[in-house]
Amino acid sequence: MSRSSSSPAGALAALVILGIASLALFTVYVKEGDCSGESECGPLHTVQLGAAEVLRPVRSIVGMVLSPFDAVEDRISGALSTEEKRLREELRAKEELAAQASRLERENARLRELLNGERAVYRYGPLARVVAPVGGNFANRVVINVGTADGIEPNMPVVVGKSTLVGRTTKVSRNTAEVMLVTDQSFTAGVRIIPPAEFDPESGELSPAVTSEESSYGEGLLKTSLDGYLGVEYVALSARAEKGDYVVTSGRAENFELLYPPGLLVGTVEQASSQDIKQFKDIVVDPAMTPDDLEEVRVIVDW
Amino acid sequence: MEQTSVVRAALVVALGALLDAVIGPYLTFGWVSPHFTLIAIVFAVSAMGELHSVLLGFFGGILLDALGGGLFGVGALGGLLAATLSLRTRATRRKSAERLVLAQVVAMTVAGYGLIQLVATNLARLGAPPLGEYLMVGLIPDAVLNGVLAYLLGDWLLRMTRSRMRSWEAR
Repeated sequence: MSRSSSSPAGALAALVILGIASLALFTVYVKEGDCSGESECGPLHTVQLGAAEVLRPVRSIVGMVLSPFDAVEDRISGALSTEEKRLREELRAKEELAAQASRLERENARLRELLNGERAVYRYGPLARVVAPVGGNFANRVVINVGTADGIEPNMPVVVGKSTLVGRTTKVSRNTAEVMLVTDQSFTAGVRIIPPAEFDPESGELSPAVTSEESSYGEGLLKTSLDGYLGVEYVALSARAEKGDYVVTSGRAENFELLYPPGLLVGTVEQASSQDIKQFKDIVVDPAMTPDDLEEVRVIVDW
Repeated sequence: MEQTSVVRAALVVALGALLDAVIGPYLTFGWVSPHFTLIAIVFAVSAMGELHSVLLGFFGGILLDALGGGLFGVGALGGLLAATLSLRTRATRRKSAERLVLAQVVAMTVAGYGLIQLVATNLARLGAPPLGEYLMVGLIPDAVLNGVLAYLLGDWLLRMTRSRMRSWEAR
């Protein structure tokens, strides 16, 4: 194509028109149904879902090809932090011992709750494989290989293992679902901060003392700050929150039922500080899941 | 005399969008990631007709929006910006320094695209970082690295998108 085939005036007009069209597309995209909750999928979201479905095999292949590099990276980082790893394992073993001491008591309470039919029982979707990461510079999301055909819907909690929260589903197509990870800046969840003795991360069982109304354990909103730190906001200065405490989903806020069932492990408190001039505590959370290590997850479809 | 084949240019831009969607997330480090589509557009339209350039930039951006899963319309604006900046530098380009100039255009485009993305993310009320921090830690390294990447890929991209015009075609 030679340069003289189009006039500058025509190109300028096209530029203006297409610029306006781009802004219109952006507006429609933000305003239309985003496939979450009760809202239906708008046309532009549908286009993206279709593209994700088409790209699924390619992403799977690329993911498989790149997985050895992930393993090498893991080994290198593992070799560099052997001492830290040993200390962490030691700490974890001690935490487990502490947890074991109160396990019998909790089991007793759990059985009592079971009889009352109050214990949260999760119904999981099929085991899902993480196909690929997606999103731009400001997103932290992955695509998994289950979709509406497997009973998955938007806004369902996604866990790894039995009850470690990974994120929640956002856009769901027939065979794929996009998962917004807990480390995404748009992710929020109501959480409770509880000491290791009151929670068993293996089973996700909470001590009844935690859920009682007299409980003084910290409650707040899990959110990744603009600096990239995962933290809990709006925790009262008087509430208990210490380094090493578990951060788990609270399930309810007063009379409101939240998006996630209670007792899903999010991480541990890495730093908890309070200043008199501030209204709330500053809490930094070390997430229990590592986005790069995610391979297989489950979606909780009912509880 | 050299000219750009529209079909080849479109294929290169499509390949860029596909790479952005499939490999891009694996190469994302914080706010820095390769922008293959923008690089492809800048090089592909460098010797095209103006109207064709604008159209290729827009539809390349739309493809990026559709495959990438980000905010729709942002990629289209980025594509238009890439095509426009590439066209604007045409008069100042010399054959010997073409690759270097286009790499600079890529860096400017990526910086502009980053700002568009930041504004759009704020408008959509999604979590976006503060401007100052993003400029220092995200935008500038992103622009520089993409400029370097464009310079490295430049020769190949120019070879892929252009074909030599025969004398009777030129007439």
